[in-house]
Parts: sequence; C-alpha cells; structure tokens
Amino acid sequence: MNSIILSALLGVLMMFSGAFVKRTTLSKYFAFVGLAGLFASSVYELIARQPFFHIDVHDMVHTNNFNLAFIAIVLGCTLIYFLLNGSEIEKVGAHVSEYYALIFFILCGISIAATFNTLLMLFIGIEIVSIPLYILTGSDKRNLKSNEAALKYFLMGAFSTGIMLMGIAFIYGGNPNASFFIHNLEIGSGKMPVMIAVGLVFLLVSMSFKVSAAPFHFWTPDVYDGAPTVFTSFMSTIVKVAGFFAFIRLFESAFGVVQNQWQSLVLFITAATLIIGNVTAVFQQSVKRMLAYSSIAQAGFMMLAIFALNNKAKEGILLYSAAYSLATIGIFAILTKMKDYTIDGFNGLAKEQPLLGFAGLIFLLSLTGIPLTAGFQSKFFMLMAAIETGHHYWIAVLAVLLAAVSAYYYFRVIQAIYFKEPSPEGVVSGKLSSVYKLTLILTVILIIIIGIYPELIIGWLYS
Amino acid sequence: MNITTFIFILLSVISVGSALMMIASKSPVHSILWLIIVFFTISGHYVLLNAQFLAVVNIIVYAGAIMVLFLFVVMLMNLNAETEPIKNYRLQLVGILSGGSLLLLLVLALMKIDASHQVQMKVGDAGLIKVLGMTLFKNYVLPFEISSVLFLSAMIGAVIIGKKEEKSAN
Repeated sequence: MNSIILSALLGVLMMFSGAFVKRTTLSKYFAFVGLAGLFASSVYELIARQPFFHIDVHDMVHTNNFNLAFIAIVLGCTLIYFLLNGSEIEKVGAHVSEYYALIFFILCGISIAATFNTLLMLFIGIEIVSIPLYILTGSDKRNLKSNEAALKYFLMGAFSTGIMLMGIAFIYGGNPNASFFIHNLEIGSGKMPVMIAVGLVFLLVSMSFKVSAAPFHFWTPDVYDGAPTVFTSFMSTIVKVAGFFAFIRLFESAFGVVQNQWQSLVLFITAATLIIGNVTAVFQQSVKRMLAYSSIAQAGFMMLAIFALNNKAKEGILLYSAAYSLATIGIFAILTKMKDYTIDGFNGLAKEQPLLGFAGLIFLLSLTGIPLTAGFQSKFFMLMAAIETGHHYWIAVLAVLLAAVSAYYYFRVIQAIYFKEPSPEGVVSGKLSSVYKLTLILTVILIIIIGIYPELIIGWLYS
Repeated sequence: MNITTFIFILLSVISVGSALMMIASKSPVHSILWLIIVFFTISGHYVLLNAQFLAVVNIIVYAGAIMVLFLFVVMLMNLNAETEPIKNYRLQLVGILSGGSLLLLLVLALMKIDASHQVQMKVGDAGLIKVLGMTLFKNYVLPFEISSVLFLSAMIGAVIIGKKEEKSAN
C-alpha cells in the first residue's frame, strides 16, 4: 500500500520538478533520494506489516508477505538500476525528470499488479505499467528504430490489452457471482463453463504477451533492440518480473482450482518459450539483441513457476526476480558503456577495464546458472517446483538441456571479454564514475551472497 | 410481441447490419459513418437495459469524440476507395482463420446464455447515475483514483512525444 501511494506521489513531484529545476543532474539526485525513501517505506511495511496510510480500499488490493517481499525486491533492483544508469538516462533526451516521473508511475503500476485482488485492479495496474513503457521506448525521438519500436509496441500492446479486457468481461459475466474479485469467482473444480474457459484463455494470451512468452513474443526483439538501451534494461528486467508476478497471482488465486484443465496449455507455452528463446539467441551477433532473446529464454524458466504453482514456485519466483533482474541490469549497464554493441565489441574488455570484465563475467555466469551465483539457485528452485508437481518430468529435462544451450551464447561473450585482444581505439567510451564502479561491485556481491545463501530472500515469505 | 421486444429486434438488426456494412464498404469515410450508426443503436440497447447514463456517455464519447477524430484522420490522410491497397490473398486467409476461430469461441460462449431476459425496461437501478456515483465513490474509489495515474502518465507521454526537442539540452 505504501509503495502504491508514495510512488504515484513521487511521480507527480518529479513531473513538477521538471518545470522548476533546470539542471538535469539535480533531478537525478532527487529521483534517487525519492526512490531510496520508497524502498525504505516498503521494507518497513514488510517488517512491521503496517502501512503508513490506513485507507478503506474495500478489498481491492491485498498485501501479504509474498507480494510485499516482491515489491521490496523490485524497488531494491530499481535502486541499483538508478545508481548504475543515472548518467545514461540523462543522455537519452531533454526530458530527464519526465523519464523519472514515468519510471515512478511504472513502479506504482507494478505495486498494483503485485497486490491486486480484483480483475479491475489487475487491468489498471498492467495498463499503468504499459503506457509509460510505450513512451520510454520511443523517447529517443531522432532515432528511426526507436520510433518504429514504440509504434510496434504500442499497437501490439493495445491489441493485447483489448484481449485482456475481453477476457475479464467474459469472466465477469460467466461466474455465478458476477464478481471481479479473484477469490470470489466460484468456478468450482469441475469442468469450466465455456464463458470462463474463453475468459481464461484470453487472459492467458494477454499475460503471455506482456511477459513475452512464445508464441506471443514476436514484438520483443524489435522493441528491446529499438528502445534506448537504458530503458531496455528496465523493461526487460523489472517490468518483466512484475508481469510474471501478476500472472502467478492471477492464475493461483483465480484459476488455481482448475489447474489441471489449463496446465497443458501453460506447458506448451513454457516449452515453446524455452526452445525459441534459447535457440534463436544462439544466432545473434549484437549483444543487445542476444539479451532480448535471452530474456525470452529466461521467461521460459519463469513460466515453470506458473506451470507448478506450489510453494517452491513461490520461493523460486522471488529468487528468480532478484537474480535475473540484478544480473541483467548489470550486464546492460556494462553494455551501455560499450562503443560497439556486437559481441566483437566486447573483445579484450578485461584487459582494458578489469573491473568491468570481472563484473560481466559474474553477471553472465549468473544468467547461465553456474553454482555459487544467484542464477543457479533460482533455476534450481524452478526445476524443483516443476518436479514437485509429480508429472510431466520432461519439461524439467528440456529446461536443463536448453540451459546448456544458453551457456553457449553467454560464454561467447565471456570468451570475448577474457580471451581476445582489445581493439586499438579502445573498448569503453567515456569515463566511469566511482558511483558506477561501486554499484557494480555491490551488485556482484549481492549476486554471490544470494547464490550462497538464498534464505536471505526466501525467508521473507515465512517471517 | 410487445413494443420493447420489437424495439430490441429492430435495434439489433440495424446494429448488426450497419456493422456488416462498415466492414464491407470500400470507402473509409462510409465505414466511419456506418460505425456511428452502430454506436447509436448500441446506445439504444443501453437504454433498453435501463442504463441511461451509459447510453449518453457512449454517444458523447464514441459517436462524438472518437468518431470525429477518426473522420479527421481519414480526411487528413485523404484515404478513399482508390487508395485502398490490394489485399494479399494469404493475409485474407489468415484473417478468415483467426476471425473465424474467435467467432466460434464467442458463439460457443453465447450458446450457454439464458436468453429469456434481453430487455429490462425500468427494471433494476444499476445504470442510473445516482447509483453509479455511489458505487464509484464508495466501493470502487481506489481504482477510480488510481486511474488518474494512468491518465497522467499518458498526458506526460503526449507532451514528451509531441514537444519539439531543443537543440541543446540543459
């Protein structure tokens, strides 16, 4: 509750600060302090289980350990994102404080999408996340690729929103209570009524689109490639895991009783996402595009949580959000400093910038899922969750096999970083600030700590 | 057959007919004019369901604002029957397939509906403006207030996209 209200207010404040503050660095610090306060308030709410505001929300949103812990993780990752990318956001365009305002609005939407208790709030939350994203995608106005990406994302996104709304309408009309409340649908564990089934399929399609699961992933590579790299980093991590969280919350609370009827559909989506993401990523030459496909591949792993929907899956999705967001934000932060975005552009990074090279190594190892990194633990929990369901073991085998494929394209970048000679004109453009370096070190340490001691995150579920 | 049932059938025939005409007509301007008729007949349906507020809002927002916007775009871009691109045969096939499966789903869902009460003149007060206001500001106050964030972000977006970028920032 804290994060919903405070992030909306901070967004408004940032918006007005744009009119009065002329120096863009000032709005950077302002946004950072605001976000730190937001993070502290959400951690406070998680520990004390007591929001600052006591509003009668008529059960529209509901908070518990699970979603409060998730919001805290997301805000923590955003904090690291701000620290790493502060100077890059300034370079995108002239409207720096507005970009920050939009990011705060997205955080508000994420908080709603994580705590929603009715389909109405789910829709509003998802929309508050999506609309600022369309704008951030197209914020590099002089770049044709950015324009194209924004238009493509907007049209496809609007279409999927329409499908989601139609699904909600079907579920509203189809359940005996004519209710939006996800706990109150009374679907019954028997065969679903046709109206509910249609609504469920529509919601499944639109949510899969939002998290870029195959076969609804076609927008992803173009949009992630066309958007300014800083914002690609934001939407492929924080926004994506928030989409997954809403997905899980929806399917667990509303459709958990009829899991056996839609499980095979989710199984198909999971398998397709894993295969398409991993296999296509192998052929990419640009690291940015490779990361776009790898984000589809990682989405496949997160889909396992929706397939399983047990306690292990809940623990897994918390870990996965932290591990995947940290590693991907980190690797994108390194990518933004590169002169050349192709894999050859990374040649000899470790010789020129040992710190960047080492951090990149850890991030890529974590994304691959090598033991002692957070990525390993999160993948491990996801596979455990899938196996605990007691059937369809082949999906776990497939996931492991494709994780091995993913090692190929991640290790190609590592090979370029460590075993190739740097080009004479230098690999990295511009100077690296000390804040940037310290945050990179912090991120590396966090990834290793979570990798050794995952209870640090999971523990919040049961406190 | 009483008068309301007659009006219901009349409105339904007109709305389905003009919806078909909207798709079938070659000129985009004609399509839009047909669409306006569809919106008016749907507003008629709302009145039959005793939802006067919804009927009025539907006319103001859709038939008024959005359709005028559509007309402006079509006229500004000078679209007409001649500039219509020739449709790809394969694209048409895909369209028929996907649209057909959607239709199948909708028909399946509609078959389950209890169709005995299409018309509810003067029955129920859910669509009246007073009841709507009470619900909106009591039970649904949170989504109502939160939607302001949505509109605010859309407005910021319009400004960012629309504003002319100065050469030198700072």
